[in-house]
Amino acid sequence: MDYDVLVLGSGIGGMESSIKLADMGYQVLLVEKEASVGGRMILLSKVFPTLDCASCISGPKMSTTINHPNIKTLAYSEIDHISRNTHGGFQVTVREKAKFVDWAACTGCDVCQKECTVAVPDQFNAELAPRRAAYIAFPQAVPKKAILDRSGTSPCIAACPAGIKAHGYVSLTRTGKYEEAFQLNLDATPLVGTLGRACYAPCENGCTRSQVEGTLPIRMIKRYVADEHYATHEGPGVEVSPPTGKSVAVVGSGPAGLTAAWQLARQGHRVTIHEAQASPGGYARHGIPSFRLPKDVVEADIANLTAIGVEIICNSPVADLQALKDSGYDAVVIATGAHREAALDAAGVDAAGVVSGLSYLKDSAAEVGPDLTGKRVVVVGGDVVAMNAARTALRQGATSATVVAEAGKPGALPCNEIEYTEAAAEGVEFVFSTSVAELRTAASGEVTAVRCVPFSAPSTSADASEDAEAGETVQAAAAPATASTAASELVADLVITCLGLDVDESLFVELAGVGNKSRILANRRSLQTKAKWLFAAGDVASGLSTITRAVGSGRRAAHMVDRFLKGESLDGFELDSKLSTTKHRDVLARHSSITHRDPVTGQVRLNQQPRDFAEIEAGLTEEEARSGAGSCLDCGICSECQECAKQCPAFAIDMTQRDKVSEVEVGAVVVSTGHKLFAADLKPEYGFGKFPNVITAMQMDRLLAPTRPFNTVLRPGDGKVPDRIAYISCTGSRDKTVGNPLCSKFCCMYSIKQNQLIMGALPLADVTMHYMDMRAAGKRYEEFYTQARDMGAQYIKGRVAKITEEENGDLLVRYEDIENGGGIVEASYDLVVLAVGIQPNRDVENLFTDAPLGLDEYYYVAEPSAELSPGQTNIPGVFVAGTAAGAKDIVDTILHAGAAVAQVAAHLEHQHFAEQEALV
Amino acid sequence: MNQTLRDPREVMREEMLMHAPILAAVAEEPLTIPQIAERIGHPAPEVVYWVMGMRRYGFLSESGDADDDGFFAYAATGRQV
Ligand SMILES: Cc1cc2nc3c(=O)[nH]c(=O)nc-3n(C[C@H](O)[C@H](O)[C@H](O)COP(=O)(O)OP(=O)(O)OC[C@H]3O[C@@H](n4cnc5c(N)ncnc54)[C@H](O)[C@@H]3O)c2cc1C
Ligand code: SF4
Ligand code: SF4
Repeated sequence: MDYDVLVLGSGIGGMESSIKLADMGYQVLLVEKEASVGGRMILLSKVFPTLDCASCISGPKMSTTINHPNIKTLAYSEIDHISRNTHGGFQVTVREKAKFVDWAACTGCDVCQKECTVAVPDQFNAELAPRRAAYIAFPQAVPKKAILDRSGTSPCIAACPAGIKAHGYVSLTRTGKYEEAFQLNLDATPLVGTLGRACYAPCENGCTRSQVEGTLPIRMIKRYVADEHYATHEGPGVEVSPPTGKSVAVVGSGPAGLTAAWQLARQGHRVTIHEAQASPGGYARHGIPSFRLPKDVVEADIANLTAIGVEIICNSPVADLQALKDSGYDAVVIATGAHREAALDAAGVDAAGVVSGLSYLKDSAAEVGPDLTGKRVVVVGGDVVAMNAARTALRQGATSATVVAEAGKPGALPCNEIEYTEAAAEGVEFVFSTSVAELRTAASGEVTAVRCVPFSAPSTSADASEDAEAGETVQAAAAPATASTAASELVADLVITCLGLDVDESLFVELAGVGNKSRILANRRSLQTKAKWLFAAGDVASGLSTITRAVGSGRRAAHMVDRFLKGESLDGFELDSKLSTTKHRDVLARHSSITHRDPVTGQVRLNQQPRDFAEIEAGLTEEEARSGAGSCLDCGICSECQECAKQCPAFAIDMTQRDKVSEVEVGAVVVSTGHKLFAADLKPEYGFGKFPNVITAMQMDRLLAPTRPFNTVLRPGDGKVPDRIAYISCTGSRDKTVGNPLCSKFCCMYSIKQNQLIMGALPLADVTMHYMDMRAAGKRYEEFYTQARDMGAQYIKGRVAKITEEENGDLLVRYEDIENGGGIVEASYDLVVLAVGIQPNRDVENLFTDAPLGLDEYYYVAEPSAELSPGQTNIPGVFVAGTAAGAKDIVDTILHAGAAVAQVAAHLEHQHFAEQEALV
Repeated sequence: MNQTLRDPREVMREEMLMHAPILAAVAEEPLTIPQIAERIGHPAPEVVYWVMGMRRYGFLSESGDADDDGFFAYAATGRQV
């Protein structure tokens, strides 16, 4: 037996039971689902009829509970199930929920919640005000420790192959922390400006807001923070670890190589990039034209690397990887991309005026491309290279640019939908279902025309997208089909061939071997090749993919190289510690309604026959960036912005924590899970949730408590100090229309308590209570009621029929005045407080897997012989304490807990004797 | 008031977005909630959530007593975003 007793719930009933049992010498396991012990009582202002401060009474009990040598308290934990074990006790499955904070280190200093960028309703303040995703339950919480409220990984983060925390930089941008948003991107890659333009934004495909009126402009927000940083800061502003003494060569300076180099340099390794071309950037510089991705943006991104000491050697083609390694490197990352172009198999390909897509784009990027004024250009192939080549040709003056593709329709083109739609909008013409049979040439050897034949085989997507993750490289499926015919001959002054790209294996074939197609053979997870010091990143390992996937691969390779250099295992850890992805439907279900916000989208300038290379997409203004970010639904709640982790002086934030599930054996169980409060909006005639100045009594208790959410008692509609306050008793109690004929016992008394406290806090306020019957049956309760009357509170007998709202937010209450003739009267108030009754908490009924826990007809835990054996349930060994069994005030709850404790002790002793007798 | 109240979760989420306009509104002098609501063009019940969030996390504090109409004015504390 691990514990004598499991106590479920740490309200006053649970704490009292635990302390008494522990004082008797029993070992108690107390499990509380919230972050602090104390239950509802600790949230109250004062208690009736003594008007003692609730925390002054509760506080010492909370502290005794947590410090008692015989009590083990698990806060923020739940029970999954309880079953009977073979020795008459119970087998219990306990779940300690992940807090994402190391409680042993957390000092409760409050910094994390001050820095957090996500605001949510505060359940500990009856949702009158916000708390943060990083929170300490309340100031007197025991234990006083922080928690991160995480509900999965947000879909945008889950969708990013680069491992960039999209939700995080969205929430930082919403908060105005643009530089922090930029830095969060830099945690993954130096190519923030590049991705802000050329990423296909799989995050946006995953965005839950797209289920409402449209995705957030997540990519454009990234672009905004990058542009903002480059306009206002010198250098990246990142910290680099002290030198490790290790050096790494990176071969290739495309997105994968640059990202790997960045990560390794930040770890303190000396990094040198060897690049075959005259300038770094790979396809980001040589493949993507400047009207989509300006060269100065790529250069600003690359300057991040040189600023932290990465050496980039251009015009340095590596021909022998082993020799490179032996020249003094501890490890090598190969990131040479996919640059081998498929050749056109047709007569005339060697004619003058026939060029390959990549060389054409590279020359154009270097501004040594041809002047095409008045020329007709034919582009063969339908991939991203073809689209970029055709659009570049128009800008170089071509009178026409015609793409000849085997694909039967736009949706079958092997490129992203946006590439096709933008090309078509700029006047690129398309000929579908067509193959090139021959390039006709003039006697001078120059190409003059392209002879075409119909292509009949079904067209499928080509290499460019075959490995793309779902939603990432969206094919042009949704694009409108344009007229297409298999032309027999097209006049051409220039033919650009774009027939697909693959990896050139000659550099690595001997050392590492070839895997799928001509790609390098490397472990998919570790990216390590059979030469242990050689790691592969980007297209060389995956085939032509996207910048974003190349970045993710570069990050992964760098992480693995770092572990390799430290002699650590490349297995047994997660690179990005993700929770399960938050489901769209769960996010939407959290909201009663979501207000439409006009989606913020980028402005793309698409002119027919464009003639300049100026960037076609305009950046967002600050207002647009913030407003776009403001649409975020905080899917995973915590945005993973890392502000808390950065600021926590105890380094206690731990995003890798997970729920801990364990099995324990106990001899008996006390259910003290308390009650719920009536949902006041179920009485629509009172206007709760519709009129801001109608609140519940729990909200009023919070307004009166020393740790109140406002500076004093204010009405939530406009922050005014209320002068005329009405109470409506029995809201949701003694009311068959809402299915609860029971009296909640304590509402009359807590109303009277609040009446007195209000008159103390707001001496000028008039307090009126509309009641059915005054139930003041307890020691000194009647006197307490009289005292309130003497202080000036008014009590009017009769039901309230309806509440309406006046123009200024005041409330017109229509009520019956029984003691003055029974007429219907109207009165105006500043604030109306609904004295809500209690409801059973049905969380526990399915916990017991053998026999179900018996409930009474109102769904409270049943006590089959309440008169003779209070606290006993239908399951031997399971007891109930407090309001889990029905309405009780604090005094009665403590008494009931005492009864339950006595029953538990009797049960355990009986078991003990039975065991001893069996031994004799 | 006669307006439809939005889901409090949605309104509270927007607090971060409202820090800048609210701090700008109170930059010159402390303002009451109805005054802030008018300046920034949002309903007063929503401004209550934002002001109370900002007060709790140290961006605003009430300055002095309530005025004759029962409204407190709130001033910037100097804490920046
Ligand atoms: C025309 C075109 C447009 C594209 N547009 C987009 C887009 O808009 N968005 C998107 O997400 N993706 C796009 N892509 C795909 C994307 O650019 C690639 O997936 C990404 O660049 C791959 O990165 P990488 O680092 O693996 O390779 P690369 O960018 O190809 O970089 C490899 C580098 O290694 C160098 N190198 C090669 N061999 C050697 C050697 N032996 N020694 C030294 N250096 C060597 C190369 O010169 C090159 O600089 C496009 C691709 C093309 C071709
Ligand atoms: S990571 Fe950001 S959003 Fe999440 S709890 Fe920390 S500060 Fe708040
Ligand atoms: S709504 Fe926000 S958190 Fe959710 S997927 Fe979109 S950007 Fe990410």
